[in-house]
Amino acid sequence: MSSTSPAPRSWLTNQSAQRVRARVAIAVAAAVVALSALATPAAADGTPTPGTERSKTSFVIGMKQDIDSLNPYVGVVSAAYESYRLMYDYLIGNSAKDFSPTPELAESWETSADGKTWTYHLRKGVKFSDGIELTSKDVAYSFQRAKDDETANSQYGSYVDNISKITAPDAYTVVMETAQPSPIMLSLAVPILPEHVWSKIDATAVANYANDSNPVGSGPFRLAEAKKGQFYRFTANKDYYLGAAKIDELVLRIFTDDEALSQAVQNGEIDMAQDLPAAVFEPLVGKPGITVNDARYYGFSELAYNIGAATTDGKPIGDGHPALKDKQVRLAIDHAIDRKTLVDKVIRNHGTAATGVIPPIYADLHWNPGANERAFDLAKANAILDAAGYAKGADGIRAKDGKALNFRMFARSESESSQKDAEYIRDWLKEIGIAVTVSVMSEDNLTAVLGKGEFDLFHWGWVVEPDPDFQLSVMTCGQRSTEEDGEISAGWSDSFYCDADYDALYAKQQTIIDRAARAEVVKQAQAKLYDDVAYSMLYYYNQADVYRNDRFTGFVAQPSDGGILALQYGTYSYRNIEPVTEKAATDDGGLPTAVIVSIVVGVVVLIAVAVIVVVLRRRSTADDRE
Amino acid sequence: MGNANGGGAPRRPRPLSLSLVLRRCAAALATLVFVVLANFFLFRILPGNPEKTFAPRGRNADPETLRQLRETLGINDPLNVQFGKYLQQLAHLDLGWSWSKKEPVLDLILRGLWPTVLLSGTALVLASGIGVWLGSRAGWRYGSRFDRWSSNLAVTFYSTPEWLLGLVVLVVLSRFGLGAGGMTDPRSDLPVWLDVLRHMLVPVLVLAVVYVAEYSLIMRSSILDERRADYLTTARAKGLRDDLVLRRHAMPNALLPTVSLLFLSLGFVVAGAITVEMVFSWPGLGRLTYEATRGPDVPLLQGLFLFFSAAVIFMNLLADLLMPVLDPRVRQP
Repeated sequence: MSSTSPAPRSWLTNQSAQRVRARVAIAVAAAVVALSALATPAAADGTPTPGTERSKTSFVIGMKQDIDSLNPYVGVVSAAYESYRLMYDYLIGNSAKDFSPTPELAESWETSADGKTWTYHLRKGVKFSDGIELTSKDVAYSFQRAKDDETANSQYGSYVDNISKITAPDAYTVVMETAQPSPIMLSLAVPILPEHVWSKIDATAVANYANDSNPVGSGPFRLAEAKKGQFYRFTANKDYYLGAAKIDELVLRIFTDDEALSQAVQNGEIDMAQDLPAAVFEPLVGKPGITVNDARYYGFSELAYNIGAATTDGKPIGDGHPALKDKQVRLAIDHAIDRKTLVDKVIRNHGTAATGVIPPIYADLHWNPGANERAFDLAKANAILDAAGYAKGADGIRAKDGKALNFRMFARSESESSQKDAEYIRDWLKEIGIAVTVSVMSEDNLTAVLGKGEFDLFHWGWVVEPDPDFQLSVMTCGQRSTEEDGEISAGWSDSFYCDADYDALYAKQQTIIDRAARAEVVKQAQAKLYDDVAYSMLYYYNQADVYRNDRFTGFVAQPSDGGILALQYGTYSYRNIEPVTEKAATDDGGLPTAVIVSIVVGVVVLIAVAVIVVVLRRRSTADDRE
Repeated sequence: MGNANGGGAPRRPRPLSLSLVLRRCAAALATLVFVVLANFFLFRILPGNPEKTFAPRGRNADPETLRQLRETLGINDPLNVQFGKYLQQLAHLDLGWSWSKKEPVLDLILRGLWPTVLLSGTALVLASGIGVWLGSRAGWRYGSRFDRWSSNLAVTFYSTPEWLLGLVVLVVLSRFGLGAGGMTDPRSDLPVWLDVLRHMLVPVLVLAVVYVAEYSLIMRSSILDERRADYLTTARAKGLRDDLVLRRHAMPNALLPTVSLLFLSLGFVVAGAITVEMVFSWPGLGRLTYEATRGPDVPLLQGLFLFFSAAVIFMNLLADLLMPVLDPRVRQP
């Protein structure tokens, strides 16, 4: 190397450090200018990307569950069903008042005398978003596809498998025949899709079809923009036959954190936050401009027992404690649970003590024992166990035939209330001479354990649909696990309850079309479960919707008696809300936000430039050896 | 630099020989093959009944449907058949189909890649830049007030869980127009790039603040190692300013461990920061990983981990090849 000391050189480019620095500075400056230049036209007309014109009145609801698929034959989560309800229509809907069947695409319907032939009369003049009229052809197509197409059938099979024949005698009439009279024909939640679009998507392609760009539908809203994991923008169908929405745009925005969701509704980024946990929504109660709607909900929590895990062939599986097959033991446990304390302390009064498996939100189907409700009574629980021959040992634990009442209880790691409930129950059971070891595991893990019958007690719950069929089916013999080639596969049963009388009641309610008559049988089935202590029902919990009352008004609850405001069986709130004032709904922070953002962003860019220059300068001197 | 005198045999070993490059590539490839194998069996031992998790719950009373679903998801096949299918798919660059997101795994990864690189990559650049500066100054003035403060602060932030710091900052700052998470605001009238910039600001700062310690502490200890070295005494004896001694003489040597660390971290950039992406509802690969554990969504988990491993292996390979260029001591004759 030369002995005269050269200017510092960069080992990257072998150029002098000053020149590198100058180049970096020029490059950064050019980049900033280019970015601003790119952004200027977009900022000027306010349309960042094509197809996302800012509507006049926009309602944004924040939720935690992402839509798994916008394709109604594929998605399974409740957020996805919500999107189908926005984009498509059904023959018959659920009323806002009490979930009873209400006309949607079918203006009216009638049943033949034997209850096996159903005739639906369609509305005239209903148009899909591409302008083509919705006729009986599309209805017949949608139902036929739900029967024949494997993907569609795995989604809607429970509605259509019972249907033997679908015909469309004229453009506005659909006739369906069923093998058995069935009340399910009044709640056919099969979305009606345009045949002229979906017939081009064959059975193999449909499983991978995203349905996320300009889907054609007849529903109250139309999908304008879908950003999976971020937000879904729907524009109102201003010609909707049941009454067009008063807002112009509805946005479902996905958050992955409760606290962030709460902040977003407080600072006005969103107008409603759906399904917030009590610890997060309680501080919002009474804040100006915010309403917390602590709504009655469809869900319940239960303590479940392993009542003799077995396959559908009756072959015992798993390692459940045999004492739990004894109804007296379950009865004693049920008496040892203080539901009032659980409601007070665990769910902090956002719910009520539970009895029947159909929650009281379905007023006409719900059963409760009234005065015969089992009371919290430790003395009685002890007496029941004494009488049944479970004697207390020296350690205070009861035993019979040399087998101590030592139970495992599983709670779920995803649910704080599940873990708290389990601890309370463990302590109460200790009082009656039953030892319980609580372990916490993931829902996935627990699902696998349940299917194999490797449990004694566990804490979980169900969310119940307006039609009681599925919830009642969970307790039937046919839902127990099955065995094939030595492999055990789970059904939906998680208690392995199996009773011929109950199965008969379940089968009976499946064939009664008259709502009131069916409700009687549904109640008998619930009473049977309660008497047999198939589950120890703990509580029906609420769900909270939080919204900005200073921006929007006109929410419709379902059911009207204290129900939820969003993610309903229907689109009642979305179609009826309106801005409190024109300004409130369109003003999104306005100028101050933009000014703050510009300042902040400017500072950040400066810092970034400084850091880059410093780093490169250091690098540039790194190889300067003399 | 280099060998200008073409006639004479080079005395210094060349930084990179063809055989070295080939050997390193082969080793990287072997690691990748091992990962492909381990990846497949690793996620098969996770507990769960995916068919129940991904069934239309409440809609299908029929256990037959669960059986059908198992068939569709391919869970019913024996392991060797599943493995064969997996390899066949990989050969076609197909990572499978996500059970929970109902679309090809590759599409999901490509969609989440950009947000993650934007978030973690920016944080990494910031953290390494600030960290190197802090660490070198602190080490150079060992025991000074600057050293005590910067080192203690760095360690404090390093031991703070990112999600906790993120949550606190989010609650404090979200009302100043910086957004309560997400990458864009569907109702914003800002241009998209500015909207993204304002949403990424807080999570990037949180990540950078937490990661700074990694760089500042390593940089500080390497400077400490060099501080008393003879060549620095020589440099000082030549009358160089203290600042120049640090920058031109101590830093180049002290930077080497940091460069290794940087390359390691670059590989992990694509894996994202799971907790921060969750707190800030960031649509990146970290959040995707978290969501894939529900079920579990085996194809998605498998695809993500293969992708992450490949990125780390690739970055390690790059570091392996670059180190001899940067540091003559690790060159092989």
